[in-house]
Amino acid sequence: MPQMIQMQAITKTYRLGEVNVPVLKRIDLEIEQGQYVAIMGASGSGKSTLMNIIGCLDRPTTGNYVLEGRNLTAFSDDELAYVRNQRIGFVFQQFNLLSRSTALENVMLPMIYANIPKSKRRQQATQALIRVGLANFLSNRPSQLSGGQQQRVAIARALVNKPALVLADEPTGALDSETSREVMELLTELNQQGITIVVVTHNPEVAARTKQVIRVQDGLIVH
Amino acid sequence: MKTISSPASPQKVLAVKRTDPVSGLEILSMAVEALWGNKLRTGLTMLGVVIGIASVIAIASVGQGVQKATEQRIQALGTDVLQVLPSAARTGGISQGVGSSSTLTWQDAEAIVKEAPAVAAVSAYLQRPGQVVYEKDNHSTNIVGIDLNYSEVKNTKTALGRFLTPEELDQAQSVAILGSTVRDELFGKDSTPIGKKLRIQTESYEIIGVFEPKGSEGSMDRDDQVFIPLTSMSKRIVGNNALSGVAVNGLFVKARSNDDMEAAKFQVVNLLRLRHNLAASQDDDFTIRNQTDIVNTFTAVVGLLTIMVVTIASISLVVGGIGIANIMLVSVVERTREIGIRKAVGAANSDILNQFLVESIVISTVGGSIGMAIGIVTAFLASLAFSFPFVLSIWAIVCGLVLSFIVGLLAGVIPARNAARLDPIAALRSD
Repeated sequence: MPQMIQMQAITKTYRLGEVNVPVLKRIDLEIEQGQYVAIMGASGSGKSTLMNIIGCLDRPTTGNYVLEGRNLTAFSDDELAYVRNQRIGFVFQQFNLLSRSTALENVMLPMIYANIPKSKRRQQATQALIRVGLANFLSNRPSQLSGGQQQRVAIARALVNKPALVLADEPTGALDSETSREVMELLTELNQQGITIVVVTHNPEVAARTKQVIRVQDGLIVH
Repeated sequence: MKTISSPASPQKVLAVKRTDPVSGLEILSMAVEALWGNKLRTGLTMLGVVIGIASVIAIASVGQGVQKATEQRIQALGTDVLQVLPSAARTGGISQGVGSSSTLTWQDAEAIVKEAPAVAAVSAYLQRPGQVVYEKDNHSTNIVGIDLNYSEVKNTKTALGRFLTPEELDQAQSVAILGSTVRDELFGKDSTPIGKKLRIQTESYEIIGVFEPKGSEGSMDRDDQVFIPLTSMSKRIVGNNALSGVAVNGLFVKARSNDDMEAAKFQVVNLLRLRHNLAASQDDDFTIRNQTDIVNTFTAVVGLLTIMVVTIASISLVVGGIGIANIMLVSVVERTREIGIRKAVGAANSDILNQFLVESIVISTVGGSIGMAIGIVTAFLASLAFSFPFVLSIWAIVCGLVLSFIVGLLAGVIPARNAARLDPIAALRSD
């Protein structure tokens, strides 16, 4: 299986005033395509920072990050934006939908930045929403949807540009257990269709559904 | 490491960068949506530019209209015409005003044409206010005695009928040419009163023509006049009161060309001083007015005033621009999370920059267009109310649009750059 993610000696240091705070001390990590991985760790362990680097939202201080064979070290902001747009889907704990836009408009958003014409955007976004079971909620705004439905809109948005990798940051953190189960089933389904999934979570039940668990502690991966 | 193989999604061929930026139309529709979502704020933000552009356009248009009116007045006066008036008569040191004495004569006019080479033609006139009567209607007007050169010097033609003949002038015949206002008052609008009889004092005058309308000069309606031969005026209505010759109220002197105006004035002054036997120590007993100078000065003053007021109005445009910048800054802060979301799903910094820049430009140009419409309507109403020509130059419209575009662009630069530079992680975490 080719590698989806290859990280070599990744470090991340934040500067707080005069002090350098190392958040990631040394991360070496390989995740194959089609994997379903949970990243677990206490808060402050560096798992969110790792997640942001995997998602190309942040850059490592040192080290190499290769995504699908592309070394992203020298990529510019705009190049990273395009990688996020084309290859990565995000699912957040707080859903992060545009509150003034409808479900359909929210799902269409990534396609705007992929230069997909409007008619095709509408068609693909509708398909994505049908796929997550929201066929009847296309024109609802987030405030008119339940938490589980909002998270499913977010998943549809993550899928709509046909990414290779979906990153979910505490996807069930704001949901009750029944809805959480539904959302996790949806992610499992996506993984079965070949999408690599990385979930950051506290929740052992969520981690149990994945194929591999990576534990982060004090900026290092522990086995 | 535990690995379970599963079918991978086929790897797409991915260029490093998007080849084309998000289309302008797409950005525009996003901007309009965002602005439409907050109509009250958008409207209030626009107001500054609306008022700024409306006042600039209205004032520029009114200024141009007034200048045009003045230009038309110059054309009507003839740009190459000097007016010679008798000096104020003095009674024990009290001036009775220009034109109150009768030192000028028709013979002066004839002498000027003969002796002054820079002069093309001279027309003398003698006028009194008086009543004209047609059947049972009467009308108070100005009765003007004119000579044969009047038509040429004053650049005026008859719209109906004909001008005076030499015989009518020589024999002091009882004929009259009406100004169009007098015709309208006594005979009805657009009527043809040629051949009808008009009574002035005790005598009957045959109407031989109607002058084309000349418009008003200040508060004076130049069409509210009746013209008769200078000889008839002098003999029957005024009575000859000069020591020698036919006394007149003034002369219109037409120079050979605009360039000859100074020469003509010099020649007329010297000739008249000679004819009036003035010693070197004596003042002129006449006054020469160059109407063009007066009107030119007026035009220059109006032009300066217009520029000044437009400048002041432009300040309100600057204030409007600052208002837009301010609201855009607030908007960027409010929409930090939206910006984070857009960046997470793949918006490049330039996409975010363009979005906010376009929002600012849309506010400003839409406001500018509304302001322009209001300004044009205001200028039009003003031109109706104060009866000057309505002037709307393409230049003003283009300037207004370009100006509001630039205001939007400048107002949007800093907020849009702030938005584009936001760190996506921090932006996603914000409330």
